[in-house]
This record gives sequence, structure tokens and C-alpha cells, in this order.
Amino acid sequence: MKLIKKQIPLAIVFVTGVLTLISYYVPHKVSVDYIETLNKWENIVVAFAFLLGLISLFFSHYNKIARKGDGWGYSIFVFIGFLAIIIPAYVSGGKQMVEGVLTPLGWSYKYIYTALSGTMFAVLAFYIVSTAYRSFRIKSPQAFVLFVAAFILILGKVPLGQIIWDSALGWTGQSVSAVIEWIMQVPAVAGKRGIMIGISIGAIVTSLKIIFGIEKQYMGKD
Amino acid sequence: MTKHKVALTLFLTLFAAGGLFAAKPAPAVKKAPAPPAAVIGGLTAVDMPYDVGNAAMLKWAVNPADTADTFYVVYVSSLATGGWLEADRFAASAKTGKDIELPFWAWDGSSLEHAVKIELNNTYGDSLPDAAFQFKVAAEKNKQAIAESLPVSVTPVGNWFRLDRLNNLVLLIALIVIFFWAVSHAKRKGLFIRRIAGLDAIDEAIGRATEMGKPIFYVPGIGSMSSISTIASAFILGEVAKKVAQYDSQIKVPHYDPVVMTVCKEVVKQSYMEAGRPDSYREDINHFVSADQFSYAASVDGMISREKPAACFYMGYFMAESLLLAEVGATSGAIQIAGTDVEHQLPFFFTACDYTLIGEELYAAGAYLSGEPMLKSALKVQDFGKLFVMVSIAIGMICVSVGAKFGWDSFVPAILNLFQNF
Repeated sequence: MKLIKKQIPLAIVFVTGVLTLISYYVPHKVSVDYIETLNKWENIVVAFAFLLGLISLFFSHYNKIARKGDGWGYSIFVFIGFLAIIIPAYVSGGKQMVEGVLTPLGWSYKYIYTALSGTMFAVLAFYIVSTAYRSFRIKSPQAFVLFVAAFILILGKVPLGQIIWDSALGWTGQSVSAVIEWIMQVPAVAGKRGIMIGISIGAIVTSLKIIFGIEKQYMGKD
Repeated sequence: MTKHKVALTLFLTLFAAGGLFAAKPAPAVKKAPAPPAAVIGGLTAVDMPYDVGNAAMLKWAVNPADTADTFYVVYVSSLATGGWLEADRFAASAKTGKDIELPFWAWDGSSLEHAVKIELNNTYGDSLPDAAFQFKVAAEKNKQAIAESLPVSVTPVGNWFRLDRLNNLVLLIALIVIFFWAVSHAKRKGLFIRRIAGLDAIDEAIGRATEMGKPIFYVPGIGSMSSISTIASAFILGEVAKKVAQYDSQIKVPHYDPVVMTVCKEVVKQSYMEAGRPDSYREDINHFVSADQFSYAASVDGMISREKPAACFYMGYFMAESLLLAEVGATSGAIQIAGTDVEHQLPFFFTACDYTLIGEELYAAGAYLSGEPMLKSALKVQDFGKLFVMVSIAIGMICVSVGAKFGWDSFVPAILNLFQNF
């Protein structure tokens, strides 16, 4: 049993991981074909897993409606939304437009899905404002640095801010746009690169842990 | 009068007949373009090194007589004779051996010769004819051929090693050696690991949820299972779920990706078993929400707003939904711990969450929480790796600065090659 549950999966992970790693250094067609095959397999697995996801979605919302749990009314919209896309898709044969005219699927996509997605994305603008307000409450020296950088950026992006800068700090000989350019190109890029170097090394080490079977929490423990 | 009419008719007839018997003008002969006066000598074609086998490299000597309006045109054919297609066109001053983007250990390019990489896919599509390809080069001035080479041929083949990535391979081997040293060292002695505030706060967050009798939301992001951050998130989920099971609290894990959901189900189930609480495990702890970014964000936002969780964890790969989620969580009053390796989403988490794990800390979190020496040793490798990179960058900066100061033209590019990804 341990062979099937532990050793064979670990061997598959090791062989697949090492081959994938080697393929980065081998440009031959064999290597390219191997990576393409892996990608195809991944797509097939994802397609089947999507069915599992759909079942899970319906099951949890059906239970909520049946139990009349908190906010069960919202769960009805899951089914309404599903039908509002699936039925038009079936009727339209999966096409959004025929001879320049919107099909029922195209209509649902444009006037329901796109509109709702756009609304969610638009909400982001309000959240950015409230987050900016929160970040402007200076609680630490680091927060103060963040505040100063953000304040200069905001100041430089509006004409009024540029006028204020020129009248108050014009004597320095530096325009606000030059200061913004420096902030974005020097400290911001330096910080970002530092984070990226850490992330890259962390990713390599995590991959090695998985390939060599040191990290196997995803399979449970003995 | 009649005499005059006959004479006129005869004259007209003769005139008309004259047109029939007159010598026809010779048909206009299309003048063949004058053959190029000169021949481009020394053209060679070789297989492009370190590639999959779909490119060739042409080389010939730079002609000092070329002027600014001289262009080179490269022709390719898959046939033995004829069938020439234009593959490339460039100014005579461009594309020398120095312009080939390969490092010094894999390519010895000279500015005295032209070196042109011809991607055959661009001309023949993905499935190349299984034949030797003919190449010829013509020099043009004012769209008139002034010189042409003799055809040369080459059969592109796939190579087995990317020598240009040798620097990358050396770094990887160094990391593997440090990795195994750290693992064996951890087995013998154990290692000191610095504290990570965001991870120490997990206990506090779960304790708070238990006291308040409210659920914990664990959001694994919108990454797929092939994303390292999602894998790291699954490891953290295992440790968080174990503590949740021990405290007999509640955890909810809404998912964006069904594959991630399937893996996380196993992880959470295992954690409950390890905590000795398999009876508390429910299948709907992990549930699929949507595979659409904003639908997912809207749904999770709704859940957080309605259920007012005591703690929210955002661990994994996040894009624009990071702020949508974290801001709603902050408004609901939950203690929030986030971690992601998407550096441009980190500022949103910094401002909206109580604790944020930056990139590598996310990868380290599973090992840190588990407390297993073998796993913790990997954190040491990360630290050694960063030390190695920092020292390398410092040395590289000094070398490049000194090289630039003293005008060592070949030294500076060589140092930059060492740090470059090919």
C-alpha cells in the first residue's frame, strides 16, 4: 500500500521534475515535444477537474438553499446566472455573433457577463481610495516613507500639484516629474528587483524540495 | 476624272496593302536585369547552434566599400535549384558577429564579418521540409543588385545542449549542492531560523477566531497548481487547517481552480486526521466558486461581508482581485494575513492587511510552520542563495565599474554575460 500511495507518486514526481528541469537546457525537438505533451495532459486533467468544480459549486449552493442557510437567496443567482449563459449558448450553437448580429449568447455575454465584470473592476477604484487613506495613517517610519513617495506621485500626476510643487519647491531646480521618474526608476526598481531575486531563489528551492521528495505534504504524511 | 479616281483607288489600295506587307516591328524583348557586377565571396552557412533545429546561420566578410545605402538581402530555397524566397533584408552596417545575442563562452563573434540568423519557421511555417536549405546573399544599392553570392546549403539539426545557459546551470548546481549540504546538516545539528512575524501571527488569528466563534477564510488565490505560490499556499493551508482542527474552529476555503480545490481537499482532510479530529472534517470546507477572476472576487467578497470572519488568509497568486478581497476583509474587521509572490500586488496587501509575507517568505511558510528540520533546512538554502547572489552582484558591479573606467571593451560585456539570462 505504501508503494502505491507514497513511493510510486514520489518516483513520478522525481522523474517528471528532473526531465522538465533538463528540458530547459536541451533545445532538441524531443525536449520540446515532451513539454508540449505535458501541457496537453495538464489541459485534459483541468477539463475533467472543471466538472468536479462544477459539481462542488452546485452541491454547496443547493445545500445552502435546501437548509435555508444565511444568504441562501444569493445562491439562487448562481443557478440563474448559470442558466442565463448555458441556455443561450446552446441555442446559439456556441457562437456570439452571426453575420454581424448578436446571438442570444453574445447578448448574454455582452450585457450580463461583461457588464458585471466591468462593475467589479470599477469597484476597485473606490477600494484604492480607501486603501490609500489607510496607508496615509502613518504608524511607522516605513509607512512614513511610503506616504512621502505616494504623496509626491499623486502631486506630480495632477496639474494643480505641479503648480504647487513649482511654487513651493521650484527653487530646488528639480521638477516634480523628474523626482517621480527617479522614485520609479531607482528605489522602486531596486526594491522590486530585491523581491524578485528572493522569489526566484525561493521558487528554485521549493521546486528542489518537491522534486527530491523532501516536501511531500501534498500527499499527506506516513 | 476617271483616270484620277483609278489612280487614287490604286494609291489607297497600295497604301493599305503596304501595311500588310510592311516589316513588323520586332516584339519588345524584356531586358533581363543586368547580372551583378561583383560576387560576394566567402559566404558560409552553418546550423544555428543551441536551437531546436529550425534556424541556420550565414556568415560572410564585411565589405569596407559598403555605403549607408547598401542593403543585403538573404534568399532561401528548399529546392535544389530555384524557388528563392526572401528571408531577410538589412542595412550593410547591421548584423555583424557582435550582434548575435550569445554569451562569450558560447559564441566568438567578430565585427569584421556579417552573421545572420535565419529563422526558417518565419518562411516555411512550423513544419519544415526535411531537406537541405539553399541560401544566397545579394547586395543592393538603390534596389539594384550590385553583388551576389554563390548558393550555399545547410541542413538544420536540433542540438542537445544550450551551452549559452551554462551560467544558469552552474548556479543551479551550486544551489543543489548547498541544498543537500543544508539537508544533511539539519539532520545532524538542526538550524537556527529567523522569526517571521506574519507566520507567528497565524496562531493569534486562529485563537481569535476560536474565541469569537467565527469562521476563518483561507483564500488560495487564482493561480493554477503549476504555480509555485499556489503549491506553497497548499502547504500553508495544511498547517493552518491542522491548527483549526486542534482548536475546533471553522475554516472555509473558496477556490478559483478545480484542480487546486481537489489537492486542497486532500491536504485539509489529512490535517484533520493528523490533528485527531477526522469527525470535524466536512467536504464543503473546500468549495469551488468560479474560474472567472471577478466573479470569484465578487463571490468571496460577498461571503466575507455576510459572515464577518475573524481571520482572513490570502496566500498564493493574486492579481487585481487582491485589493478587492483584502479591502472587504479589512472593512469587516478580520485580522488579515497575506502572502504572494506577485510583487506588484504586494503594496495592496501591505496597506490592507495586518501581516504580509513577501515572496520568498510565502515559500518558506509551510516549512516554518511545520517545524520539521528537513523542511526548515530549505530556508537556510534560500538565505545562502541570497547571500551568493548579493556577493556576486557586488563583485559584478565593481568589475563592470572598473572595466568601464579603464575602457576594457571586451571585459565589461563578458561580466554582463555572466549575469544574463539567455
